[in-house]
Amino acid sequence: MPTLTIDNQQVTVPDGTTVLEAAEQLGIVIPHFCYHKALGAVGACRMCAVTVVEGTFKGLKMSCLVKAEEGMVVTTDDQQSVEFRARVSEWLMLNHPHDCPVCDEGGECQLQEMTIASGHGLRRYTGKKRTYNNQQLGPFIAQEMNRCIQCYRCVRTYKDYCGGKDFGVMGSRNRVFFGRFKDGTLESDFSGNIVDACPTGVFTDKTYRFKSRYWDLQEAPSICPHCSLGCSTVPGGRYGELQRVRSSVNEKVNGFFICDRGRFGSSYVNHPERPRQATRGSWKLTVDEALQQLDVKARELINQHGPESVLLLGSNRASLETNWLLQRWAEEIGCRAPLLSAHLPRHQAAQVAAFDLADRLCSLEKVRQSDLVVAIGADPLAEAPMLGVALRQAVRSGGKVKVFDPRPVELPCDFEKQTVSPTELLDLLDGTSVESKQLVDLLRGAERPVLVAGGLMLGAGGMLRLKKIAAAASNDQRNCLVHPLLGGANSFGAALLSLPEQDDLLTRLESERIKMLVCVETDPLLEAPDNERFAKALSLLEELVVLDYLPTPLSVHANLFIPTTAPVESEGTFINNEGRQQLFAPVIKPRLPISVTGEGNHPPREFIDVAPGSDPIPSWQLFQQLLGEATDLPTLREKMKTAVPRLIDFETLQPGGVSCRVAHVDERCIYTDEIPAAPEESLQLVVTPARYGSDLLSRYSAKLQPRFTEACVQLHPQDAAARGLQDGAKVVLDTVEGPFNLTLKCNDKMAIGCALVENGPKFQQLVPGGKLSFCKVHAGMSHG
Amino acid sequence: MAQEEKIDSVGLLDENGLAYFIAHAGELEHPRELVIDVLRAIQKNHGWVPDEGVELTATILGLEPIDVEEVATFYDKIFRRPVGRYPIHICDSICCWSNGGEELAELFQQKLGIAFGQTTEDGLFTLLPSCCLGVCGQAPAVMIHQRHYGPLSADDVDELIERLRREASE
Repeated sequence: MPTLTIDNQQVTVPDGTTVLEAAEQLGIVIPHFCYHKALGAVGACRMCAVTVVEGTFKGLKMSCLVKAEEGMVVTTDDQQSVEFRARVSEWLMLNHPHDCPVCDEGGECQLQEMTIASGHGLRRYTGKKRTYNNQQLGPFIAQEMNRCIQCYRCVRTYKDYCGGKDFGVMGSRNRVFFGRFKDGTLESDFSGNIVDACPTGVFTDKTYRFKSRYWDLQEAPSICPHCSLGCSTVPGGRYGELQRVRSSVNEKVNGFFICDRGRFGSSYVNHPERPRQATRGSWKLTVDEALQQLDVKARELINQHGPESVLLLGSNRASLETNWLLQRWAEEIGCRAPLLSAHLPRHQAAQVAAFDLADRLCSLEKVRQSDLVVAIGADPLAEAPMLGVALRQAVRSGGKVKVFDPRPVELPCDFEKQTVSPTELLDLLDGTSVESKQLVDLLRGAERPVLVAGGLMLGAGGMLRLKKIAAAASNDQRNCLVHPLLGGANSFGAALLSLPEQDDLLTRLESERIKMLVCVETDPLLEAPDNERFAKALSLLEELVVLDYLPTPLSVHANLFIPTTAPVESEGTFINNEGRQQLFAPVIKPRLPISVTGEGNHPPREFIDVAPGSDPIPSWQLFQQLLGEATDLPTLREKMKTAVPRLIDFETLQPGGVSCRVAHVDERCIYTDEIPAAPEESLQLVVTPARYGSDLLSRYSAKLQPRFTEACVQLHPQDAAARGLQDGAKVVLDTVEGPFNLTLKCNDKMAIGCALVENGPKFQQLVPGGKLSFCKVHAGMSHG
Repeated sequence: MAQEEKIDSVGLLDENGLAYFIAHAGELEHPRELVIDVLRAIQKNHGWVPDEGVELTATILGLEPIDVEEVATFYDKIFRRPVGRYPIHICDSICCWSNGGEELAELFQQKLGIAFGQTTEDGLFTLLPSCCLGVCGQAPAVMIHQRHYGPLSADDVDELIERLRREASE
């Protein structure tokens, strides 16, 4: 822990800290470009020069490369350093165009800031500037190479950190060019990060072009709602429109970067068909009237038909506050406790994570630091993309990654893959088989082992088996940690609030005792298993109430519809897959975007005192109204903490921080799994989320459409040949949920004896996560 | 690594050359180290390296095209655009400069009627500036293919151009 003096201020820092980082702790920002906390220092831009007055090597040094030493004395504001930095800045600016006033990066440009900070205010160079032809890099990223200052951050982010393969640096000297071999869409699922990493306007968000100036943008710390990892983001919007999302920093979770699904999947907020008006059939209502009707009807039905007659359904898209208040409202009106998920097997898996695995859950940071990660039943790029990047960091620091999965899993790093079927996965975790013992031995041999548990594939039973493996691989010195992947942004939170649940939505609906169903930010037509049966069961209802911010198919069937706000329009909390309580702040107010109401004119010519389409209010406020208590969020959170003691420090948390995890709890161990016998000549059905559009939010985001993939069923070539089927053939996939006509794709990287389908925008019928199930694939066409 | 299915060299490498590189790449821990060798073999056969040559090299060595392109565009002795049959690299570094390198460059431009970066109409010569060729003892010097020429006087230049023209017509 050396103590050093920088600009006459003393600071003590951990061993290995650089002078630049030490200065940062004192609040002294030394100008820099190539240094980035996640990417490290390369000493290439020469911008962070300081003078070492006392130390092993004296004189002008690059502060990003010099380690802090005991007794070191450094000055950052002496004449020599200041002049050096000013000249470096001038030199970096030689070729930079004078386009700041019209540049897409204007106002949030590090080059602009550092140039001013370094005192280079007047341009002396009058020669010709170097110019380039730009490349077309696809729908997400715009390139303007003339602005480049060769800091290499883009290629270090895209290739080194995120593992992209189709981007690099070409040429030499003052001709270096950052781009692809040929024009074309950047292939990486993390391509958008070069927008954040670029310190100037070379790479910018194409989907956000010409929308807003940075200083006009409304931004707030938020949590990505697209998967269960809960990456930190900063969405930005203006005039009622969510315009972009950039990554934020949470070193425990995503680190510095996010995936493209999170970055470009935000336009669901501005969906042209988004319902913004409370309605009963074709009648328009005010939200107050709608709530009144909801309350009266629910109480009336309970009085007439008993507590079974009203079923409330929460979700993993709804915030922790909403789900908790929904439970309170159920108590208030005297109906049965709400279900907090339309998908029981997913929910049970999340409950195992939230209860049984609670004491060994680990963050993405721990995954990055692990020396051995074994992923079981997990396809990171589909279920939790940033986990793929975390695995890459583990490999880059010398760790190993092993994946057991039936799917053709791809990762942005070297890894060992064992292709096994879902039943073989469960055998692997049974603790007695040879493979199972080998797995335990492998984990025992590691110093910081982590098991990634794919909750969708494993289900509650598989997760409990995995817990035993983790326990067997732990010893007195260290635990074998578990990083679970769950269904949605608040799956953990919904699970945490729930009692052990054995009853699923369908069984209860088909019992015909339910007269009224209230769906809060969920659409079982898209999210429940066997959604065909659910659709039929809807006709048994007297009243269907939907509260949502998406134009889901269910909202069309609703007798009573009440609009709610999207996460970026309200405050709330999601609990991520490792139990971290993360708060998000409101970015914009709900309203019809001015780009819609103005019909292309600006400013809009209609003057009214309420913005059109501003009816939606946060769902937790709706339930507060129903409960007749209008407290602010801190008071509500204090109440929740008293009721749910596991929510440690909940009332003091703020959006944007590292935040903390929920308390441990005694395990429940209530779920058992059975491996059903396979019918003859059947294949195991594997339903996987598509990389884009599997979560409803990205499905309703037009920006992501270029990434949506066509529906197909995949078989191993051996299985296809055994059935006399050719690649590209039209086939019927026969499942317990009915037959589906699909195109066959052969894939030799998947498990033999399985049929694989992707749930996404082009195929919504089968939902991933659930019990083992079997199917048949044969030629022909079904007219079911 | 080389794929099992047959690689089509699209006429950029002869069969022996292709077989040699595939075999050699298979023996190496880092086939990437062969990038320059393959590119130079393609250049020798074809005069320059077209996009297909970059892709072929990547296929042979099991790399991405961008990995090869990064190397190909870094070196000015790998040509990614068509050049004349005799690309003339004229040294512009200090020893040659102090021994009349600028005059030599001027002379070549005059005699061939082209500027740096251009190719004569008959497709024989391309003039290119080069950093130090490593033959300071022969300053002022030029390099054509793998051979150095220098020190060059005005007469030497005439003779050299004449000889290469003759060689080309034979």
